[in-house]
Amino acid sequence: MHKAEIIQKVAGLWPEIVMLIGATACLFIGLSKGKGPRRSTPWIAAATLVLAALLVCGKSSVSDGAGALAGLAGYVKLAVAGIGLILLMVAAGVPDQLRQTRDAEAAKDFDPGDLLTGEFYAFFLLSLTGVMLTAGAGDLVWLFLALELTSLPTYVMVATSRDRVQAQESAVKYFFLGALSAAIFLYGFTLIYGATGSTEFAEITRIAQEQIAAHDGHVPGLLLIGIALSIVGICFKIAAVPMHFYAADVYEGAATPVTAFLAFVPKTAGAVALILILSLVGWPLPGAIESLLWIIAALTMTVGNVLGLLQTSVKRVLAYSSIAHSGYIVVGLLAGPAVNQAAGGALGDGLAAVLFYLVAYGLGTIASFAVLGCLRVNGDEAQTFDDISGLHKRHPFLAALMLVSVLSLVGLPPLVGFLGKVYLIGSAYGAGFTYLVIILVLNSAISAAYYLRIASACYFGEPNDAVESTGQFPRYAGALVAAALALILGVVGNGLVNASRNATTPVQAADTNQPVQQTAATSID
Amino acid sequence: MPIELIKLVPWIPLLGAALCGVCCMKPVWRKAAGPISVLSIFIPFLITCGVYSAAKHLNDTQQVQTVYSWIGVGEFQVNMAYFIDPLTMVMLFVVTGIGSLIATYAMGYMKGDRGYARFFMGVSLFIFAMTTLVMADNLVLLYLGWEGVGLCSYLLIGYYYDKPFAVAAAKKAFIVNRIGDLGFALGIFLTYMTYHTVSLSVVTDMARHAVEQGFDPTTADLWIPFLLMLGAFGKSAQIPLHVWLPDAMAGPTPVSALVHAATMVTAGVYMIARLMPVFQLSPYALPTVATVGGVTALFAGTIALCQYDLKKVFAYSTVSQLGYMFLGVGALSTFGGIFHLFTHAFFKALLFLTAGSVMHALAGQLDLRAMSGLRHKMPVTCWLMFAGCLALAGFPFTAGFFSKDTILAEAMVRGTGEHGSTLFFWLAIMGLATAFLTAFYTFRLWFRVFMGPEHFEMGDDDHGADDAHGDDHGHAHEPHEMPWWPMNAPLAVLAVGALFAGLIFSGWMTTNIEESTAQPAVALNIQTDPQTAPAYEIIAVSDQADTHAAAADSHADAGHGDDHEAHRAHGIHVLLKWVSSFIALLGIALAGYFHWLNRPLTDQIAKRFSGVVEVLYNKYYVDELYDLTIVKPLRRLGHGFYLFDQFVINGLVMTVGYLPRLVGWSVRPTQSGQIQGYGLGMVMGMALVALLVFKWAF
Repeated sequence: MHKAEIIQKVAGLWPEIVMLIGATACLFIGLSKGKGPRRSTPWIAAATLVLAALLVCGKSSVSDGAGALAGLAGYVKLAVAGIGLILLMVAAGVPDQLRQTRDAEAAKDFDPGDLLTGEFYAFFLLSLTGVMLTAGAGDLVWLFLALELTSLPTYVMVATSRDRVQAQESAVKYFFLGALSAAIFLYGFTLIYGATGSTEFAEITRIAQEQIAAHDGHVPGLLLIGIALSIVGICFKIAAVPMHFYAADVYEGAATPVTAFLAFVPKTAGAVALILILSLVGWPLPGAIESLLWIIAALTMTVGNVLGLLQTSVKRVLAYSSIAHSGYIVVGLLAGPAVNQAAGGALGDGLAAVLFYLVAYGLGTIASFAVLGCLRVNGDEAQTFDDISGLHKRHPFLAALMLVSVLSLVGLPPLVGFLGKVYLIGSAYGAGFTYLVIILVLNSAISAAYYLRIASACYFGEPNDAVESTGQFPRYAGALVAAALALILGVVGNGLVNASRNATTPVQAADTNQPVQQTAATSID
Repeated sequence: MPIELIKLVPWIPLLGAALCGVCCMKPVWRKAAGPISVLSIFIPFLITCGVYSAAKHLNDTQQVQTVYSWIGVGEFQVNMAYFIDPLTMVMLFVVTGIGSLIATYAMGYMKGDRGYARFFMGVSLFIFAMTTLVMADNLVLLYLGWEGVGLCSYLLIGYYYDKPFAVAAAKKAFIVNRIGDLGFALGIFLTYMTYHTVSLSVVTDMARHAVEQGFDPTTADLWIPFLLMLGAFGKSAQIPLHVWLPDAMAGPTPVSALVHAATMVTAGVYMIARLMPVFQLSPYALPTVATVGGVTALFAGTIALCQYDLKKVFAYSTVSQLGYMFLGVGALSTFGGIFHLFTHAFFKALLFLTAGSVMHALAGQLDLRAMSGLRHKMPVTCWLMFAGCLALAGFPFTAGFFSKDTILAEAMVRGTGEHGSTLFFWLAIMGLATAFLTAFYTFRLWFRVFMGPEHFEMGDDDHGADDAHGDDHGHAHEPHEMPWWPMNAPLAVLAVGALFAGLIFSGWMTTNIEESTAQPAVALNIQTDPQTAPAYEIIAVSDQADTHAAAADSHADAGHGDDHEAHRAHGIHVLLKWVSSFIALLGIALAGYFHWLNRPLTDQIAKRFSGVVEVLYNKYYVDELYDLTIVKPLRRLGHGFYLFDQFVINGLVMTVGYLPRLVGWSVRPTQSGQIQGYGLGMVMGMALVALLVFKWAF
C-alpha cells in the first residue's frame, strides 16, 4: 500500500478509531481508585458511541467497502452505533449486578460504586468496533481480524456478567466452539486465497470472474470449497445450522443484557461478513452455494422454531427464536441484490431486506431481553415462563413492552418486524425461491405459537409474588426505546427502508452517499 | 398565513385526544378535558380560516401537501399527504367550525358525567379522523380516516357502555358499516388495479379526461363506482344500510349532532362528490345513487312522521336529508349536494342540540307524548329550535330552502326537456313529496313539544341530576332553561347559520365547487356507440343545461342549443322555488292544525289508520326483516360452522400443531449441553457441506 492509500483508508476509519480510544479510556479509568471516575465509564462509553455515530454521519463518501457495496459500511456502522446505545442502556447495570445477583440480602445494602468495573464497557465498545470494521472490510485478513475482534470480547463479557457457575460454563462453551468455527472459516479464507492468489476482495472478484469465464461459467472447485467453508464457519456468528448448538446454552448462561448483546452484535457481524463473502462470486450464486444456503436457511428456521416450542425458559425460547431469525436472514442473502434497480422500496432487493431485517430483529429481540433483564426472582434473573406470569398485573409497563417486542418478532403490522418480513419474503419470492418462502411462512406461523405464549403468560397468567423489578432506570429506558422504535419504524419505516436500499445500491456518483446516511441517521437515532 | 400550516389541522385534535386521555387518569384532571378538546378543534378552525385565501390559489404541486411518505412498495406509493382544494376547505369549515360549536355545547351538557374526559377524547379523536378523511390525498388515507370515524362513532355510541341498548347500537353501527366498507375496500383495490395509483387527484384527472374525450367503458369502470357507492351508503345510512343510524342515537346527544348528523354521515356524499368524474364513467352509477337517495329520502320521511322519540324523529330526518344529498350528487349537482351538506350541518346540529337541551331539562325524557307546552319553561330553547325547524322544513329564505331547492330543481332539469329521463322526473316528484313530509313532521314535533297546554313527565335518567349546569337549583323536578355559556351561546350561532347560511354562502359555495375536483366533467366528444350513448347523455351532456354552473357558458359551443337549455333550467329553478315554498308552508300549517290546535282530531285519525301508523312506527319492519332473512340464517350457519370447526378443523389443527412439537422432540437430543457433542455436530456439519460441494464441483 502506498502512503496516500493508507491515509485515505485511515480517514474512513475515524469512527472505529474513536471507538478504540473510548474503549481504552474505559479500561484505564475503570482502574482508578476513586468511585467517581469509575462511575463515569458507562457515560464515556455512551459519549464514544454518540461521537462515532456523528462521525459516520458527517463522513464524506469515502468508499471503503467492496466496490458495489460502498454504502454498506455507513449503514452498518450507524446501525451498530445506534443500537449499541440502546444495548448500552440495557447493559449499563451488568457489572453492578455481580454481587447483587448473589443473594437478595446482599442486594439491599449494595453500592454499585464498590465494584463497578470499567473493563466491561471497554469490551463492549471493542466488540462493536469489530462489527464496524467488518462492515468496512475489503480484505480477507481484515475480515478475519474484524470478526474475531467482534467475538473475543464477548467471551469475556459472558464469563464476567454473572456471579454464577453457569456464566463461566457458557463462556467456556462459547469460547471453544467459537475457536472451532474461527478455524473453519479461516481455513475457508486460505482456500480462497489459494484459489485466487489474493486477499483483496476486488482482486479476488476480478480473478474469480476470469476463472469462471475460463471454465465456461463454472466456478473453480477450490474457490467453491473455500467459500463454502467460510460460510459454514461464519454461520457460527449468526447461530445458523450446523453451528447453532451453542446458542441456547450460551444465551441462557449469560446475564440477560449480555444475551441481548450476543443476539444482535455477532449476528450483525456475521450477516455482513456473509454478504461480503457471497459478493466475491456475486449473484446469481453458483449452484452449489445456492443449494448450501437453501438447506441452511430451511434447517435453521425449522430447528430454531420447533425447539423454541418446547422450552420452559423464556431466555431459551428467545435464543431459539434468534436461531430461527438467522434462517430468515439467510433467505434474504439467497435472494441477493435487486436485478432491476429501478423498482422502488426494498422489495426485490434481498440484501437491503437483510440489512433492514437486522435492525428490525435487533429492536424486537433487545426489547424482549431487556424486559426480562428488568426482573429479578429471589435475587436471581428472571428466566422461566413462571417468572413472567401475570407480569401485566404487577408491572403493566414492562408487560406492554414485552407484548410490543414479541409481536414485532412475530411480524404483526404495524410493527417493524412486519415490514422486515414483507421485504424478506418479497425479495425471496421475486428471486424465485417459492418453496423457501413457503417454509418461511410456515415457520412464522410456528414461531407465533411460542411468541404468543410469552405474551399470554404476561397478560393472562397468575402473578408471581417472588418477582420484583430490579429498578434500574437505564434498562427500562433501553427497553422502552427499543420497543418504541419497533413501533415507530413500523409506521414510518420508509426512511430506514430507503437507507437500507441505498446501502446496497452500487454507487454511481459520489454524492448519492450523503443523503443515504442522513436518512439513516434520522431513522435510527 | 402560509398554506403549510394546514398540515397541522388533523394533528392538533390528535394531540388533544392524547391530552384528554391523560386527563382520564385522575378525577381532578377530568375538568380540563373539555376546554382542551374545544381548543384542539377550534385552533384548526382558525388555521382553516387563515389559509383559506391562500388555498384558493394553489398550483398542482402545492395542492398536495405531503407530511411524510407512509407506504412504498414497488410502484405502490401511499403518502401521508393532504389534497387541498376548495372542496377540502369547505369540508374543513364544516368539520372544525360546527365541531367547535358542538364541543363547546358538550362542555355544559356532559358536565359532571363520569366519563367526561373519555367523551372528549372520543370527540377529539373523531375530529382527527374526520379531518384526515376530508383532507386525504389518496384513497388509502381516506380509508384510514373513514375507518377512524367509524371507530370513533362506535366508541361514542357505546359511550354509556353499562347500558345494553347502547352497546347493541354501537355494535349494530359497526357491523352494518362493515358491509359498506367491504365494498369500499374492494373499490379501492379495483381503482388501484385500473389506474395504478390511489391518488385522488390523479384518478379524478384521468377519469375527467376520459369523460371529456370520449371512451369505451371497461368492466372496471362500471364496477368501481358501484363498489365505492356501497361504502358511501353504509357510512351515510342509505337504503338498505340505513338501519344503524336511528339506533346510533343511544350515544350522548352532542355525539348525535356532531357525528351522526353534521359530519361523519355526510362522508359518503363527500366521497362521491370528490370522485365525481369516476362515477361519471359508469352510465348507471349516478342514476343509481340518485335513485337510492330519492327513495331513502321519502322512505325515511314517512317513518319520521310516526316516531315519538324526539331524537328518532331527527335521526330519520337525517337519513332523509342525506337522501336529498345523494339525489343531488346523483343528478350531477355536486353543488346542490355539498351545499345541502353544508346547510344541513348547521340546522341539524342545532336541532339535535336543542333536543338535547329538552332531554336534559326533562331528565332524559324523550317521548313526545310525555311533553307539551314547554315554551314558558324553556323560551330560548323553544325559539332556537324554531329556527332549526324552519330551516329543515325549507321555509322560504332559510338555509335549507336554498340548498334543497337546488337539488330538486336540478333533478327536475335532468328529468324534463329534450334528453329528459323519466327516472329523474319521478325522483324530483318524490323529493317534493318528501319536502312536504319534512315540513310536516318537523313542525309536528315542535308544536307538540313547545305549544299547547303545559304538561311534562320527568324521565328516570339521573345523569343530569348532579351538578349538570353549575347553577344548582332543584332542576331534577322542574324543567328549566339551559345557561347561556357554554350551552345556548353556540346554539345561537348555529341558529343564525340555519336561518341565513343559504342566503350568504350560496355564491361562495358555487365558486368553491367549480374550482374543485368535484365539478362534474363535461363530455366534449360524445360517444357514438348507440347502446351506451343515451345513458351517457343523461349523465354528462345534459349537464350543459346547468344554470348555476359556468359550465353552461364555457361549453356553450358544444352544440345542443345551450341558450335554450339554460333558459329552460332557469325557469324550472324559479318554478321549483315557488312550489316548494308553498309545500313548506302547507306542511307547517297542517302540522300546526293537527298537532297544536286540534290534537284530539289527530288522535282520531291516527286510530282510524292505526295499521299504517303501526307500520310506520315500526319503521316498515326493516329490522325484523333483516333479522329474519340475514341475522338468523347467518347465526344458524355460524352454529353449523362452529360444530364443523370444533370437530373437524380443530382436530386437524391439533394434529398439525403437534407436528412441529414432534420434530422438536426428535431434534432435542442434539441439545445435550455437552460441548463435545456440539463440537462433533459442528464438524459433522462442516464435513457434510464439504461433501456436498465436492459432489457438485468435481
